[in-house]
Amino acid sequence: MISDLRSGPPPREIVGDVCIVGTGPAGISLALELSKKGRRVVLLEGGGPVYEQDSQDLYRGQVTGHHHIDTANSRLRQFGGTSGHWTGMCAPLDPLDFEPRNDVPHHGWPITRADLDPFYARAQNYLDLGPFKYDFADWAAKLPAKPLPLDPGKVFTDVYQQSPPTRFAEKFHDAIRDDARIDCWLHANLTDIVLRDGSDVVESMTVSTLEGAQTMVRAKTFVIACGGIENARILLNSRKQRSAGIGNENDLVGRYYTDHMTIETSTVMFNEGVDTALYPEEIQVGGALLALGLKIHPDLVRRLHLNNNSAFLVAQHDSEIYDDDFRNYGWIAFSTMLKTFSRGHVPDRFAEHYCDVVDDLGAVATGVYRHAVRKVAPSSRASVFKIRQDAEQSPNPDSRVTLIEEKDALGFNRIALNWRITSDDLLKLRRTHEVIGAAIGAAGIGRLQIGIPETPDPEVAYSGYHHMGTTRMHADPRQGVVDADCRVHSVRNLYMAGSSTFTTGGCANPTLTVTALAIRLADHLAVTV
Amino acid sequence: MATFTRRALLGSAAVVAFGAVAYGGSRFGCAFVPRNHPDFFSLLDIAPDAPIARRIGERALELGSLPNDLPGFASALTERPLIRQALAEDCPTVRRTLVQDQCALDFAAQRTVIVDGWVLSETEASLCAARMLRPQQA
Repeated sequence: MISDLRSGPPPREIVGDVCIVGTGPAGISLALELSKKGRRVVLLEGGGPVYEQDSQDLYRGQVTGHHHIDTANSRLRQFGGTSGHWTGMCAPLDPLDFEPRNDVPHHGWPITRADLDPFYARAQNYLDLGPFKYDFADWAAKLPAKPLPLDPGKVFTDVYQQSPPTRFAEKFHDAIRDDARIDCWLHANLTDIVLRDGSDVVESMTVSTLEGAQTMVRAKTFVIACGGIENARILLNSRKQRSAGIGNENDLVGRYYTDHMTIETSTVMFNEGVDTALYPEEIQVGGALLALGLKIHPDLVRRLHLNNNSAFLVAQHDSEIYDDDFRNYGWIAFSTMLKTFSRGHVPDRFAEHYCDVVDDLGAVATGVYRHAVRKVAPSSRASVFKIRQDAEQSPNPDSRVTLIEEKDALGFNRIALNWRITSDDLLKLRRTHEVIGAAIGAAGIGRLQIGIPETPDPEVAYSGYHHMGTTRMHADPRQGVVDADCRVHSVRNLYMAGSSTFTTGGCANPTLTVTALAIRLADHLAVTV
Repeated sequence: MATFTRRALLGSAAVVAFGAVAYGGSRFGCAFVPRNHPDFFSLLDIAPDAPIARRIGERALELGSLPNDLPGFASALTERPLIRQALAEDCPTVRRTLVQDQCALDFAAQRTVIVDGWVLSETEASLCAARMLRPQQA
């Protein structure tokens, strides 16, 4: 059932077994899984069913660190959360990402990749992906071309899967509306977490509309699933009973903010005749849409003290006909509408898609023209490629989300985002490219020009809009906000869900891991609640 | 005053004739004798005379980690086994392949340098650099 707190008088209180705040991939997956296990779920969304400017304004904040990032536009405060505009790239984190590393301070989760594998497998369906297979060997026989002949002990071909991308609002709206055990409320902004007096137990949460209609939610267990920045903001703002904020007894909430450094500066030139067909385009095979990149072998990553990275080849064509620079929101909306109409349906959120197309009409026209010309123009295979990646950063406690004096319409302090990119992060990526260049040279198939200078300039790095780490998972309360079950160390019935719990960022886009962790949390809560 | 006798004239002519015959005969005969003539300068033609290769050559010299004269490059390069083979090889295609294979071996053995951002084998960086020196010394 879906209700709207703005419609009619608010109920005196809302009651369930588990209260989940946030309806993004983490919140919705968690709610559906708990419902399947017979638990009554209260699911709260601060925004409405679609984009609303006044609600989105609550996400506004300051950027005080590296400036190629923003706090508001990268997130969506509406039903379905940021899945409303994600791009759909998916891969699990690597086993290496979970390991403690002596050479990388603060590295290591209290769980392993093997612990998460069963949940990754279940998460695939939520995101409309193929089978849970991310080893190149699983797909090699079905692929239309050979991988680059690189020494696999140094550089190997890495597999990502592409989600359509799944818009959780569209895919799961009806399931939630029709689910008698899920009580979903829109425009229900969390304004206070109330602890039972003198205890470490959350008794209730107060929710309110922007207009001031207020009610209380009671549950046995509470989960905050509002994204990497907002999860920290909520805890830091909950100061009525704990002066530093709930869960912040060790000054860790908001710290260790990490993102993926999106960088596209290095260049590879392949020799004539080298078959690169697998790499620059997505490949539909065996019920999955694959994207293939180049990854350094984990043994070498450890030995050379690198961070994790997966490098994708972006073809540089002489002719702009083969450029894909028209692929922005307008094109994605146009493409979505076209596919839906071709199946004989009217697209969900037709007005939003239509307006995205209208706003980007030039790009859409360019895309249509180029697709048409590609059908008749002689094919062009590029030999020059840029290397694009969402590169990992080392965990850094000084990279953080903090509160500022300015308050939003609900009285919550807004945030300052101090995203730090260190020279060490960039030099590790430079060394990674050097290894890839040497592997390409050793195979005699081309040469690589590194685009990261020896004196690194952070200006080359842009946010991947993957906000992670602000309520990180660690077995030791002095090193992490939540434990291995995602429970806030200092509160018995408060859990965090989403990328804020990531201890390390790895180089995989986070949504698959967010969803897998949510399913794992559902299994845990089903036993304990 | 000494006189130039007829005997002396004939003797000198015989010496010259003998020398000429000996030299000509030797040249003729040696044409059939297989020899190994390392020719470092001709190997430099393997390095392309393209703007990017010239730029790499200039930057490689600026690095200061490579030799700064042709004998130094010749000495360093001939330590590479496939370069030694290439020097003894007449067929340009085989020479090129040997140089490329040596570059691949360099990469595999981590004998790489970064010149102007390019990740290069020491061999090819040296060839590009040495080529920049050749016009001044050849």
